[in-house]
Amino acid sequence: MPVKTMSSFEPNAHIGTMSSPTSPAESSPSPAEPAFKVNNLSIWYGEKQAIKNVSIEIPAKAITAIIGPSGCGKSTFLRCLNRMHELVPRTRLEGDIHFYGENLYGPAVDPAVVRRRVGMVFQKSNPFPTMSIEENVLVGLRLNGVRDRRFLNERLEQSLRRSALWEEVKHDLKKPGMSISGGQQQRLCIARALAVEPEVLLMDEPCSALDPIATAKIEELIRELRDKYTIVIVTHNMQQASRVSDKTAFFYVGELIEFGDTTQLFNRPAERQTEDYITGRFG
Amino acid sequence: MMRTRHILREFDRALDALRSDALMMASLTDRNLQNAMSCLLDRNPELCVVTVLDEKEVDALEKKVDHDGVDILLRYQPVASDLRQVVSTMKLGSNLERVADQAVNIAKRSRKLSMEPELHEAFALGPLFVDAISIFRDSIRAYADGDVALARTLRERDREIDQMNRQIADDLTVKMAEQADRIPDYLQLLFIARHLERVGDHAKNIGEDAVYAAEAEDIRHPDNALAYH
Repeated sequence: MPVKTMSSFEPNAHIGTMSSPTSPAESSPSPAEPAFKVNNLSIWYGEKQAIKNVSIEIPAKAITAIIGPSGCGKSTFLRCLNRMHELVPRTRLEGDIHFYGENLYGPAVDPAVVRRRVGMVFQKSNPFPTMSIEENVLVGLRLNGVRDRRFLNERLEQSLRRSALWEEVKHDLKKPGMSISGGQQQRLCIARALAVEPEVLLMDEPCSALDPIATAKIEELIRELRDKYTIVIVTHNMQQASRVSDKTAFFYVGELIEFGDTTQLFNRPAERQTEDYITGRFG
Repeated sequence: MMRTRHILREFDRALDALRSDALMMASLTDRNLQNAMSCLLDRNPELCVVTVLDEKEVDALEKKVDHDGVDILLRYQPVASDLRQVVSTMKLGSNLERVADQAVNIAKRSRKLSMEPELHEAFALGPLFVDAISIFRDSIRAYADGDVALARTLRERDREIDQMNRQIADDLTVKMAEQADRIPDYLQLLFIARHLERVGDHAKNIGEDAVYAAEAEDIRHPDNALAYH
């Protein structure tokens, strides 16, 4: 079996397994091109409609926050950006999502490739308990058959540096991933997501289980990652949304009520429902 | 302005108390302006003391509004219209304190004038007083009621007050040339007109903050092409 190297993990590789990959130069998105174009998206879990006819363009190399009360569909929406919602039984989807012009739900698209290009960080840090810090970071590459030790070492350091964890763990790489603090574990999970060189990071309440200091570190990290990645973050913490994001989307009972510049939305929301929610006058 | 109740009633109470303190400041400042006018036109030096004492109340309330405003920002981290209400109320407090300062300055100058023979030209400041108090009251009404239409009229009315002030300054300059022995007294009148012109400026500022609070629109300096945001 041939050893996979860096070239196998070029960003912007084509998501369709049937299509031939385009070169990075050909497929490099222009800064103005949105990362995701979502058109009339509806999602059902069995009989229950979780997302109702949502259309939105998520900008590339920017941070988009999704806010809304519990059960408004924000996590479902996030998950459908890397096809993770499909893992729930009896899910049905209408509408379409284009990722840099390609239909994310096209018949030739491999969900596994989608999930490599569109990484996910969850609410609760979930390092693999039996693996070391190093193994946790590299697990995605190894599952993809990468064996080149030098390449793996480079990617290990690069990912841990990008997740602002390298200085804290560089002498403890063989220690268990569970041996570090909660905040460090969350940054380890971010490093693991970054190791496969995704273009997008989806974050589902990444700080809700962390103390304020660990939260501040993650927020600072999110701002630093903004230059290289498209980031979509779901958060219940509106102060966090206003601090870290460039754009904010407000969801309510499955509908996208308002989407706009974060400063604008938190200062002068266009919709009464947004105003009522962000000022605490809901219900 | 109709506002839905906040889930945290404590927040509504805190915001209401803040606005209420600012409106109390406005009432005291209004009385200060009237007393200052009476000081000059009725030659009533007693009112000068009242004006100074009222101004101390206004100063204390300004500090309270600032303190409580910061407290609300810290405790509740308000956004959107709530944030704008807190910010504009704190700015209202600063403007009111300065208006009250102008009233005290007028009262002190009027007291000095009341010790000199009466100057007929003092009555020429009457219409300026009336207009200054009128624009001030309307600015407070615009803030309290969120009356954006009223607030938007204040810029033009401030210009009219500026024009009246210029006219009074020209007239007094002529008088000073005619009656050199009363130059110090005419200068007091000139400064009083200038203080009233400043009241108009503050009223215009309050109107601008009222528009910002109600509609998040910044209507300040419309002729300035420079923008840093």
